Amino acid sequence: MAKRVLIVDDAIFMRNMIKDIFAGSGFEVVGEAANGLEAVEKYKELKPDLTTMDIVMPFKSGIEATREIIKHDGRAVVVMCSALGQESLVMEAIEAGASDFIVKPFKSEDVLSVVKKVLGDA
Amino acid sequence: MPLDLSRYLSLFVAEAGDHLDGFSRGLVALEQLVRDGAPPHQVKPQVDALFRHAHSVKGMSASMQLGGVAGLAHRAEDLVDLYRAEPSRVEAAGIDLLLAAGDALAELVDLASRGEPAEPDLALVVRLSDAVRRVKDGRDLATGELTVRSGAEPTVRADPPSPVRAERSAGTAGAESRHAPPGGAPLDSPSGAGPVVIEAEQPAETETATPYSTPTPTATPTPRPPTDPPAPRPPTPTPASTETPAPVPPPPAPDPAGLAGASPRRRVLVEVEVAAACPVPAVRAFLVVKKLGALGLVARTAPSVDELKAGRLPGRRLSVHLDTSEPLDRLTRALAQISDLGHVALREADEAPAPPVAPPAATSPTGAPPAEPSRTVRVRTEILDGFVDAVGELLLATARIREVGRALPEVHRPPLDEGVDRLHAIVKDLHDKVMAVRMTPLATVTERLPRAARDVARRLGRQVEVEIRGAEIELDRAILEELADPLLHVLRNAVDHGIEAPHLRLLAGKPATGHITVTARRDRDRVVLEIADDGKGMSAGRLREAAVARGALGAAQAAALTDKEALLLACLPGVSTAEQVTDVSGRGVGLDAVKRTVEAVGGTVELESAPGVGTRLVLRLPLTVAVQPVLLVGVGDEILGLPISKVHGAAHVAFASLDRSRGAPILPYDGELVPVHDLAALLGFPSDGRDDRAVVVAEGADGRIGLVVDALLGQQEAVLKPLGSPLSGVAGLSAVTVLGTGRPVFILDVPRLLAA
Repeated sequence: MAKRVLIVDDAIFMRNMIKDIFAGSGFEVVGEAANGLEAVEKYKELKPDLTTMDIVMPFKSGIEATREIIKHDGRAVVVMCSALGQESLVMEAIEAGASDFIVKPFKSEDVLSVVKKVLGDA
Repeated sequence: MPLDLSRYLSLFVAEAGDHLDGFSRGLVALEQLVRDGAPPHQVKPQVDALFRHAHSVKGMSASMQLGGVAGLAHRAEDLVDLYRAEPSRVEAAGIDLLLAAGDALAELVDLASRGEPAEPDLALVVRLSDAVRRVKDGRDLATGELTVRSGAEPTVRADPPSPVRAERSAGTAGAESRHAPPGGAPLDSPSGAGPVVIEAEQPAETETATPYSTPTPTATPTPRPPTDPPAPRPPTPTPASTETPAPVPPPPAPDPAGLAGASPRRRVLVEVEVAAACPVPAVRAFLVVKKLGALGLVARTAPSVDELKAGRLPGRRLSVHLDTSEPLDRLTRALAQISDLGHVALREADEAPAPPVAPPAATSPTGAPPAEPSRTVRVRTEILDGFVDAVGELLLATARIREVGRALPEVHRPPLDEGVDRLHAIVKDLHDKVMAVRMTPLATVTERLPRAARDVARRLGRQVEVEIRGAEIELDRAILEELADPLLHVLRNAVDHGIEAPHLRLLAGKPATGHITVTARRDRDRVVLEIADDGKGMSAGRLREAAVARGALGAAQAAALTDKEALLLACLPGVSTAEQVTDVSGRGVGLDAVKRTVEAVGGTVELESAPGVGTRLVLRLPLTVAVQPVLLVGVGDEILGLPISKVHGAAHVAFASLDRSRGAPILPYDGELVPVHDLAALLGFPSDGRDDRAVVVAEGADGRIGLVVDALLGQQEAVLKPLGSPLSGVAGLSAVTVLGTGRPVFILDVPRLLAA
């Protein structure tokens, strides 16, 4: 069965881009969220197999959202999508329980390879 | 399969633009907060938001493969990040630089939107990098002088001026900026001409007393090269703000694999090499440590976790001593889930494991959740305009059906009228809803004003504060778009010619900082927008003189004007009382354009001023332009519309009996003498030449005028459509509407009628 993905990013165009990367690669994008608050809400509602999480977002950062998601579901697989240059934030996200990370700008094959690996399909 | 980036361009441009707008506004607001000595809890959210904007723009442009844009955004982000660590460092020179960066980024995004190469001005990038270094060094941006602050010991550096760390090759690209050494322009620094300093320090191998995953004080003193800047945070270890300190040893966590006792606990030595392709090897290594931490107790890492957090992973190699009871293949499988690992080796070490202490379960403090963000959809403006057009057509079509129904025999009419009434109600409701969607808060145009005022004030050596009230009031987007430039102009005018220089203000007994208030309020179906300043005001007398000198009107006419009317002379083209028309503005240079624009959308302009006290410009604007009440008039066989907002009244007169002044008929109206023009003659239409005709008194460019028409046909709500080319160029016409009969009717542009 196709792995179900939740995409979290405050930029619509980034979400579209990530969605396009997943589309047609054996994944089903089941939801999107534009900030950390929505992310936690949607996670609880959708229970996705994988969540891609932007870090710097309004209302609630991806780090806080990741922490809450992991608290809610210790088996959640959250992959951070962050721009280069704020690596300390990625570290913080990893401490919060993120499974892996992708650095923007990314190539579609890199994204797919990271998520397949983290889901244990590689 | 490479992504087709062009598909994302328009969204990128829109979203990056939003962030850059927010960035500029935030900077001005931040400067104000700092100047007012606002407490940290007010400053911090502002700096955080700035950081978010810069960071987002960087990530977005990097994703669009706009490396130059991303690079510039990165520098801006670095500077904001320093302010985030220490808001007291915020200063005007830094704000200037960041504003310039924001403007440059907006231009680059604009270039990118047109598919043109978008490369930043290297000088700006270098200035930002320098600023980052100076702020880190504790130097004043403007003077380059060292400033000593309590709690942060300034370091005088003997380094070459522009060192660039070869972070990627040194394996330290993950350095968070505040951990990076001064001058640490990361990676693709364009100031790469400078000497390259490669950090060659030895990795510090430290035995960690606690598993890395217990709350670790982020400010733990780490071994630093002597050139490191003073740590921006207090040296006393404080728990990371995002984690709860664990005052008592935490209870053992459940065995992650449920295999407790399955295998004896022993020490495993894990060595990994991070792939060369990974841009952030230290983060990758940190993830490895974290992953292993879930499967046992991390006794020791090289480099230490603190080194990793500082972005250092020399040689891209990490070794971890793990005390675990997990079988090796399970560890191998766990590591296989991590990307970017070039080489992985595991072996059992001879050392005895430390007494087992399981990592504590991560706890998080849950603060009060922020307000639920409103859910919105971004709609392209053309689509919105399309809705308005379509609804307008529906209104017209409904009127047409009603008109046709009048020709039906009496018996068939009631059911038809009933249907048409129902249709009309639905269409009207739809129209209201569509118009509501077009309604946009005034904030979209006023939020640029403080920034603009600041720019002008700084250039002119003035001090000014802009206060905006009622920015939430909504107007038709079409009006707002028209209003954006005039408002900006009025504001610049106020700073340039209204607000005095600080010393003059003090002499006049006013505060050194001038105050400009932009206030919006609803007044029935209008929005009243006032721009008031407490500057030196305008002199009605001098405006009269200036207008006469320009030949705009005769001395007697000027003298006959009330002071209020005289002030409006500033709106005549070329009339200015400014001693010097500066590059910024001159009152009068452009106020005429402001008046014209406001009137074009159906608004009016008033000006009040008292010398020494200030000036107040009052704009009265309709809520929407798409539907306006018009007065229909007949001229010969033609029907024309006059916007009701321009009409003062009407009178029936015997045209021939009107008094004449210098050959032109004059109508006494409301205590004034109004010059009367024959509309048919003005427009070149044949007139039936009857003597008993109607005069409509309307607001012309220079006061009231009377327009002689053949018939007054009543008032009607008209769906106005802008004129397309070539009619849009015809002076005297502003729009067109269609009557229920299907007949098109031109709407007259009264102020420009006489000029036509």
